[in-house]
Amino acid sequence: MTTTTMTMAKALNEGLRRAMERDPKVLLMGEDIGKLGGVFRITDGLQKDFGQDRVVDTPLAESAIVGTAVGLSIRGYRPVCEMQFDGFVFPAFDQIVSQVAKLHKRSDGVYRMSMVIRLPFQGGIGAIEHHSESPEAYFAHTPGLRVVSPSTPHDAYWMIQQSIDSDDPIIFCEPKSRYWEKGEVDVASPSRDLYSAQVRRAGTDVTVVGYGSSVKTMLRAADAAALEGTSLEVIDLRSIAPIDFPVVTSSVEKTGRLIVVQDAPRTASISSEIVAEVTQRCFYSLRAPGLRVTGYHVPYPVARIEEEYRPTADRILDAVDQVMGFES
Amino acid sequence: MIDDELVQLLTPEGERVSHPDYTSTLTGDQILSMYRDMVIVRRLCNESTSLQRQGQLALWAPIQGQEGAQIGAGRALAPMDFTFPTYREHGISWCRGVPPEDVLRLFRAVSNGGWDPQKYRHHVPTIVLGNQVLNAVGYAMGVQRDGADEAVLTFFGDGASSQGDVLEAFVWASSFNVPVVFFCQNNQFGISTPATTQSKVPLYRRARGFGFPGVRVDGNDLLACYEVTRAALENARAGGGPTMIEAYTYRMGAHTTSDDPTRYRVDAEVEVWKHRDPIERIKALLVREYQTKPAVFDQVAQEAEAFARKLRDDVLAMGRPDPLSMFDHVYTDEHPLVQEGRREMSALLAAGVGHA
Amino acid sequence: MSREVFLLPDVGEGLIEAEVVTWKVRVGDVVTLNQPLVDVETAKAVVELPSPFAGTVVTLHAQAGDVVDVNQPLVTFDVDAEPAPHATPKHVVHDVPDEGRREPVLIGYGVATEDEIHARTARRTTSIGATGVSSAHDDRGAPGPVRTTPPVRLLAKQYGVDLRRVAGTGRDGLVTRDDVERARTARPVGSIADASRVATSPRMAGRELAAWDVGPREERIAVRGVLKAMAESMTLSVATQPQAAVWTRVDATRTTELIASLKAHPDWAGERLSPLTIVAMALCDAARRFPGLNSHFDAAAQEVVVRRYVNLGIAADTPRGLVVPNIKDADQLDLRQMARALGHLVATARAGTTPPADLAATTLTITNVGPFGVDGAMAILPPGTGAILCVGQVAPAPWVVDGAVVVRQVLELSMTFDHRQIDGAMASSVMAHLARYLGDPAPALLAR
Repeated sequence: MTTTTMTMAKALNEGLRRAMERDPKVLLMGEDIGKLGGVFRITDGLQKDFGQDRVVDTPLAESAIVGTAVGLSIRGYRPVCEMQFDGFVFPAFDQIVSQVAKLHKRSDGVYRMSMVIRLPFQGGIGAIEHHSESPEAYFAHTPGLRVVSPSTPHDAYWMIQQSIDSDDPIIFCEPKSRYWEKGEVDVASPSRDLYSAQVRRAGTDVTVVGYGSSVKTMLRAADAAALEGTSLEVIDLRSIAPIDFPVVTSSVEKTGRLIVVQDAPRTASISSEIVAEVTQRCFYSLRAPGLRVTGYHVPYPVARIEEEYRPTADRILDAVDQVMGFES
Repeated sequence: MIDDELVQLLTPEGERVSHPDYTSTLTGDQILSMYRDMVIVRRLCNESTSLQRQGQLALWAPIQGQEGAQIGAGRALAPMDFTFPTYREHGISWCRGVPPEDVLRLFRAVSNGGWDPQKYRHHVPTIVLGNQVLNAVGYAMGVQRDGADEAVLTFFGDGASSQGDVLEAFVWASSFNVPVVFFCQNNQFGISTPATTQSKVPLYRRARGFGFPGVRVDGNDLLACYEVTRAALENARAGGGPTMIEAYTYRMGAHTTSDDPTRYRVDAEVEVWKHRDPIERIKALLVREYQTKPAVFDQVAQEAEAFARKLRDDVLAMGRPDPLSMFDHVYTDEHPLVQEGRREMSALLAAGVGHA
Repeated sequence: MSREVFLLPDVGEGLIEAEVVTWKVRVGDVVTLNQPLVDVETAKAVVELPSPFAGTVVTLHAQAGDVVDVNQPLVTFDVDAEPAPHATPKHVVHDVPDEGRREPVLIGYGVATEDEIHARTARRTTSIGATGVSSAHDDRGAPGPVRTTPPVRLLAKQYGVDLRRVAGTGRDGLVTRDDVERARTARPVGSIADASRVATSPRMAGRELAAWDVGPREERIAVRGVLKAMAESMTLSVATQPQAAVWTRVDATRTTELIASLKAHPDWAGERLSPLTIVAMALCDAARRFPGLNSHFDAAAQEVVVRRYVNLGIAADTPRGLVVPNIKDADQLDLRQMARALGHLVATARAGTTPPADLAATTLTITNVGPFGVDGAMAILPPGTGAILCVGQVAPAPWVVDGAVVVRQVLELSMTFDHRQIDGAMASSVMAHLARYLGDPAPALLAR
């Protein structure tokens, strides 16, 4: 039997291990990833097995973690950088946007920025400031980068390996609130390629789209909606940039209704992009405008009230009601 | 301004001086060859300024006055070493074999790079200050892991020395004992910001604070620049870790052709540095020590003219790139948005909207 | 020899002009490439311009102290045509970047001038002007924009229906899909292309009528087909069947609640349930209780025929006019079967495919005026039947419950009956039964 139950954290650990076993050019770099095994233990045990040259405990400077990864990529290595938390990726933003995203183009295709930048993202772990951010839109907005996010342990296991294999730079967003949730992982084969969206639950009335930690919430909302007689089709984007629009548009052509869910604030976000694109592609199928269920336009709130900020199943159901009510 | 710790092997008048740690190892032929390098590079730089003034380049960043530092450092490189320049290392590009017209593709605004970096082992230009210094350290970490007999030479200016990236690079280079040489050309100015604003402490002394050697060299002294760089590179290749070299020099021209230095410095200061010209002192050395004939210098000047003419012709022939080329090399794989953009622009161009 | 003009180029930082300070050459001078020509002063600095050509100075286009605009002529040269000794093997094409199109800035060629953009939109406005500006309003004074959903717009477009002429029955005048369907079938087949230009009013007896302003002052319509059938039926009924009516208002809240809860139940997903379904069940139940209701006065035989089966007729407003198809043995159906039967009946009636057998032998009829927002009517008894029940709209209304005024879902029922065999007492009892049933339908439905 090739399926085994593991947490997402363990799945990532195993996926990294597989990648490092296969290719000696794969390196891990980050703060506290070696001896400590990472603050979320994602890299637990890897330095012991692969050594300090391949699992590097770096000094504390995110810009340097990414900047040196650029140089290592030029040299033919495949660095996997860990940003300890989403809110700490910003010192590296310059290197990411000015160099990582552009060097393939600037060198007319000679350089390959074959690197992965992992960051735990989204909220829901009751953390202090800067530890619950959703910066994916900044990177999705930058040509030259790709952005993905697994929502299950199975996807985490495979997508981290596929990302490492890719010759494009990938921002790998890990939904930290799901790190400890268990799921079935088929270690024999991935279910799909890195950039495909997946219909997690088929439905007929409303298409609900999201990624990362939102997916489970969307499924919970779908269960509740079914009891009320409304059938939701839940789509896990998996790839935030590029977005697998054909899967989304097929669904909206069937349901005529779209809701997009994300932790991130609404303005100029991934959800805005999806609504705009789907409106253009599915205009004549739409029975209602696309609605976005998102965080509010405020800095991520204190943990004690974060559950009011993050999209819940209830807020999704509220949006379902709105979207169902447009034709009456 | 110039203190006891400055390494100098040749005075501005072209007279040799000795230094306890460094000895000039160059032969007369080598010195003449490097003189030729400096003359050609200066001539090409001046031609580029003219081209910009004639509307043929978007802008130009001159290296006038810094030829000694760049040719000295550039000629100290071994073929397999990798260099990480800023946007002003035209002398290094020359030493690495990059065709001069390729250096100008950036300034002509037909490319953001200009040459194949792996072929010349010379990174594409970096405009964001200090980014390339971190990239260089990363590359050197790769060299380390490969166990290769190679060193990395990276450049930045006095202005960039304040950037976090540069200081983080020092941290990494020191902590991991990386085979990299940091070559800082202190040409005294950011754009208008004097070097003294960047640091209260002479820049080369920073290295010691980070745990590796720092050397200040007379940046207009080709011989000293060559020897100091050569030693540092050998040390790096041998596993001795990083060195910082501060080449103390002067930016005789403007920051770029859009800059007006008269607004922040006085002619008198420029005059002082004119007397420290790197090419003149080498010429004086060649005459005094090697009895180099005027005909030889004329020959070099003519060669430089020929290079300048060729550069002009090559630049004038650089046409507008195909707009559709903007969709090339954005990703290594196919990407739906890039494909969509290419289709859209193709359709617009075919319909006569925009300029093909 | 060729004539070349040196235009004042970019000298940096978004400048648009420069002042000539000192000429370093004179007309007639032979200059070499890059020889200093002139010092110009910009807003920022004095800049020396080197000659881009080797040749003879023909014209200096400005004097010292003159201000010259960027991209304006500065110097004209006569340039030697002979190839220079250093000529490179490849053919040299002089490409002056973006000449005339940009305003220079510090770190680039500069911003594209407005002219570029104007050129493009000028082309476009010219082409629009040729065909005339499209007007926002129909010049026959139609109302403003139509509120509807994208797929309904597409539907209307496909049908050739002018949305501006469709009455919207949705919330706030929203044009619904049904509205468009109705509007579509109100036009004769074959005139789709002219739909937006033909003025019509709602159909009468299956016939299209020209609108008030458009049609003839007096219009004569031949009595044929459905019109004839309806006229004859109504005349016969009134002439031969003395009929009276009773009516009552019903608190149908529990009926509406039951419908809502069933609709939400997975087992009932997709079933068409409405108050009409419950009313149909109630009427059949009333017939069981009061068989006399379900009777026919056979005048010829001088007998009253009491029937113990209900063929439930439903008055259907179709594009061809009023038809009354029936559900055979409706008293045998449970709620789900009734719902399906009603759905099927309505669909086939609208499509015009009701089999003739379904139009015969009705015993009781329901006519539903609720969708029109109307409460009741004294319907005319279909010949051969004992009663016709008219069902009004279900709407919130004040109601007294336990001495307090509350809002309930209230429905009005009105029943016309054949007063030859059915008396007021029976009719009223039937109404009371219906009211009780609709007031709390669950027990009765469960009993079946």
